[in-house]
Amino acid sequence: MNTSLSVKWFLGAMAAMALQVLFLRDIAFANVAFCFIYVWGIIKAPMRIATPLLLVVAFFSGWIIDVFYNTHGLHAFGTVLVALLRPTFFRILAPANGYDERSEISLSEMKWLWFFPYVGLMLVSHHLILFLFEASDLAMFGLSLVRAFSSAILGLLVFGLLEFFNRDQ
Amino acid sequence: MNQLFQFLLRQRTFLLFLVLEIVNLWAIFSYNSYQHTWYFNTTNQWAASILSTTQEVKKYHQLRIVNAQLAAENARLHTQLLQLRSQQQPTGKIPYFASAALLNRYQAVACKVMDQTTQLAQNYLTIDKGLADGIKPGMAVISSTGIVGKVMSCTQNLSLIVSVLHTSNTVSAKLKSSGELGYMKWSGYQAEVGELMDVSKYKKVVKGDTVVTSDYNAVFPPNVPIGIVAKVGIEKDDTFHDIKVMLLTQFSTLTYVYVIKNRLAYQQAKLEQNKPKAE
Repeated sequence: MNTSLSVKWFLGAMAAMALQVLFLRDIAFANVAFCFIYVWGIIKAPMRIATPLLLVVAFFSGWIIDVFYNTHGLHAFGTVLVALLRPTFFRILAPANGYDERSEISLSEMKWLWFFPYVGLMLVSHHLILFLFEASDLAMFGLSLVRAFSSAILGLLVFGLLEFFNRDQ
Repeated sequence: MNQLFQFLLRQRTFLLFLVLEIVNLWAIFSYNSYQHTWYFNTTNQWAASILSTTQEVKKYHQLRIVNAQLAAENARLHTQLLQLRSQQQPTGKIPYFASAALLNRYQAVACKVMDQTTQLAQNYLTIDKGLADGIKPGMAVISSTGIVGKVMSCTQNLSLIVSVLHTSNTVSAKLKSSGELGYMKWSGYQAEVGELMDVSKYKKVVKGDTVVTSDYNAVFPPNVPIGIVAKVGIEKDDTFHDIKVMLLTQFSTLTYVYVIKNRLAYQQAKLEQNKPKAE
């Protein structure tokens, strides 16, 4: 694991969480699309990170978000689940010649045909769990689905823009 | 043991995942008021539905006891009803007061039918109380809907009852609306149908009128329902109405009956046996 990359990732994750709780906390587009940028930390975690470590990181990041959102356990549940699913998504999306040992998860290193499905899978699974659990009501199933998918689309847009402006020159 | 450790070590990621998610679930259900309430309500609902099902089953098994209790209560109510009826002022102007002995003349005892026939020409019932319970031959037996018969003989704990479905068992009866007297006799072949005899054809009888026991009855208390007038005709001898009565007692499903003890029956019998016989 590249140390400078790890440090970069750690600081980025911190920044995403700070952004989330300080600025994006109360923002919702059309009352259905929420921007959960803090998932950046799990999405962008180094490729070869040990899953248990990622689980713990996901747990604490989710927990901190929960503390600020006053939804104890909800976000953490989603992030831990997504952290567990991440290696599976890697397997599903594996290119024919496998992953490069030193590759970083970014739009510039991966093809967009790999990057967007990966981010989409992560966001959709996280948001589905989160919104369904938050509603805890089958009568609101439809609304939860709409929220999960519109938030995932918004997330894809935001992550795409971040990658676009973060390209290595 | 070693294998267990090996297994745990191999599954450490998943186990860690489980532990973390359990912590999250615990947090979700204990600190979020909505999910907390939801959890509470749902589990309560399940528990309640399970408990109510259990209750239903229990209730079903208690039906036997409940039935017996209801029968006992009915007996008590019958006693009171008969007492109130004898207290009733007749319609005439003459002031009438029943004596205490007359008021408390009747007492009902709930009994269970052990055996009975309804299809024979002469039908009898066996009930589960006898001399030990104060039941004596000659007492009236009624059900919650109508009359049943008369006690014929008793042993210590059982009694035999001559059903009204018996061709030689006649009951003094009257029409409730007009007070017209007659006597009720079973026609001998249908468990539901009796005949009201001796009602003059010049009296008005309407279909649907209730037939009750008359006041001139040595066995039955007055005004116990017998049946409903189902068909009115004129008999062949052209003197009396031919009245068919649908009996009110459901003999085929009879379970509990009430034996009516009459405290004055002995006095009445003794008194009447001294009547001078016609020469």
